[in-house]
Amino acid sequence: MASRLSRIWPTLSRVRLSSALGSRCVSQTPKSSASGAAVTSDLQSLSPAAQDSHGHAEVSPFDKNPDFHGFHHSDPFVDEWNMRLAFFFGISVAIVIGGTFVHYLPDHGMRQWARREAERLIKQREAEGLPLMTENYYDPSTIVLPSSGED
Amino acid sequence: MLKVLVPTIMLFPTIWLVPAKWLWTSTTTHSLSIALISLAWLKWTSETGWATSGSYLATDPLSTPLLVLTCWLLPLMILASQNHINPEPASRQRLYITLLASLQTFLIMAFGATEIIMFYIMFEATLIPTLIIITRWGNQTERLSAGTYFLFYTLAGSLPLLVALLLLQQSTGTLSMLVIQYAQPMLLDSWGHKIWWAGCLIAFLVKMPLYGVHLWLPKAHVEAPVAGSMVLAAVLLKLGGYGMMRMMVMLDPLSKELIYPFIILALWGIIMTGSICLRQTDLKSLIAYSSVSHMGLVAGGILIQTPWGFSGAIILMIAHGLVSSMLFCLANTAYERTHSRTMILARGLQMIFPLTAAWWFIANLANLALPPLPNLMGELMIITTLFNWSPWTIALTGLGTLITAAYSLYMFLMSQRGPAPSHVLKLPPFHTREHLLMALHLIPVILLVTKPELMWGWCY
Repeated sequence: MASRLSRIWPTLSRVRLSSALGSRCVSQTPKSSASGAAVTSDLQSLSPAAQDSHGHAEVSPFDKNPDFHGFHHSDPFVDEWNMRLAFFFGISVAIVIGGTFVHYLPDHGMRQWARREAERLIKQREAEGLPLMTENYYDPSTIVLPSSGED
Repeated sequence: MLKVLVPTIMLFPTIWLVPAKWLWTSTTTHSLSIALISLAWLKWTSETGWATSGSYLATDPLSTPLLVLTCWLLPLMILASQNHINPEPASRQRLYITLLASLQTFLIMAFGATEIIMFYIMFEATLIPTLIIITRWGNQTERLSAGTYFLFYTLAGSLPLLVALLLLQQSTGTLSMLVIQYAQPMLLDSWGHKIWWAGCLIAFLVKMPLYGVHLWLPKAHVEAPVAGSMVLAAVLLKLGGYGMMRMMVMLDPLSKELIYPFIILALWGIIMTGSICLRQTDLKSLIAYSSVSHMGLVAGGILIQTPWGFSGAIILMIAHGLVSSMLFCLANTAYERTHSRTMILARGLQMIFPLTAAWWFIANLANLALPPLPNLMGELMIITTLFNWSPWTIALTGLGTLITAAYSLYMFLMSQRGPAPSHVLKLPPFHTREHLLMALHLIPVILLVTKPELMWGWCY
């Protein structure tokens, strides 16, 4: 058993190692892929393969459809309706109607009410000459303390 | 909750049953309708915080802004992907949108979860569609290593979290957020408890990411296609912040001493990643490192655990989500035209695309936290609360603000100003779709200036 394994293992490890080695030897991807891609775009000879990757072929979509909106490359009808619906649902519905809904949300936690009430009370007390706030939260005469000396 | 979840699940039949030429139209309108319905969550019906729709799904002022952001982002992702996915066969396009929609479903359930284990399961579940999007649709060979880094960094952090949660369940008997906030503070005095504390937070710190464990983020953001970058930057990072805010409730009083190293790492990360941004040649990598920088500030704000810290963190998370996603979309428009992310190859664009230069300008101004945008409000609140915790932090946060302004300006000047190289002169013009995409990113940010109390969370 062990002898069989010892015969199989070298071949297995060699296969794996060689494929790994092979890929390491063959791969010539530049360290920075951005610069690799930069070389392609720098050359003005734009091969169809490079162009096809973003679907333009060698023709700009604006040639076939001067009103190309960026939504659908081949069918101008779909392109236009996609644009209209995206704008309608995005701006008119979501932002305008949604924004109106959010604007008219109730005053959560009564915070805006609290600010208005505070300003109103301050104005009132200043007009009456009263202090803006009393020092004691509770009336001291209502507080019953145990008499000292008892245990 | 169900009024959003059911339409989101019905996105799957929509994706697979509409005729191929109406696929993008119908998914865009369907997801925009979901976004409209999600605004109903902003009406907080209860004064106690939690608005429960059942015992397992609830929203409160912390999760609601993040939920609305998630629902708003799906139509934006679909709009952004429409062009580069176009050459693929129809069934693969449907698969792509299915992955985005499944991410959406998991994220809604994650932010709405009341049971921490459910949040954990959804947190992990979001990894799978994101991994598939990065490794299948990324554009360079590095996407495989990016996916590996992404998956294993997050998993290495979250397995301790699972153990910590199970221990928590053992000791308190419940993991429902509704209940556990009222639990007795635990006696946490041994080294085992300190490790448990770390286990609770490491997963979220890796996700945020905190500076020392941030290496996955530049790789994942850069190699992902535009929709992957958008969802990563806008929402998935915020899962980490949200998780931390939920967990910190029960981690006192250990947190008082144990947060020191993490706050220092976060603050140092702001400086370091900001400085790295100034040296980047790859545009998406610059935006990715700027995300790490902003999230360092958010991490600092959350770890401090003061009301202003939490509020500032939520505000900055929402604002950063929208602005960072917008920057990735802008970078993608340059990438789709020049097929390169190198910044010196796509420069001088202002003369070629003047309206887009306006979008670039506003996005960079928002990124450097220009008043009155919510980015500034969040940053100021966090910087103030850090100053209150220790006055020395102002040196790091102030320097961070300066460096943020520097690299945002660098990004703008590099891409827009200066003479345009000759290969840029023949680039195809901007599409209506792309302008709509930028507008839909920016208008919510500007509208949030008028009603910031939506984002203040439950601490204010």
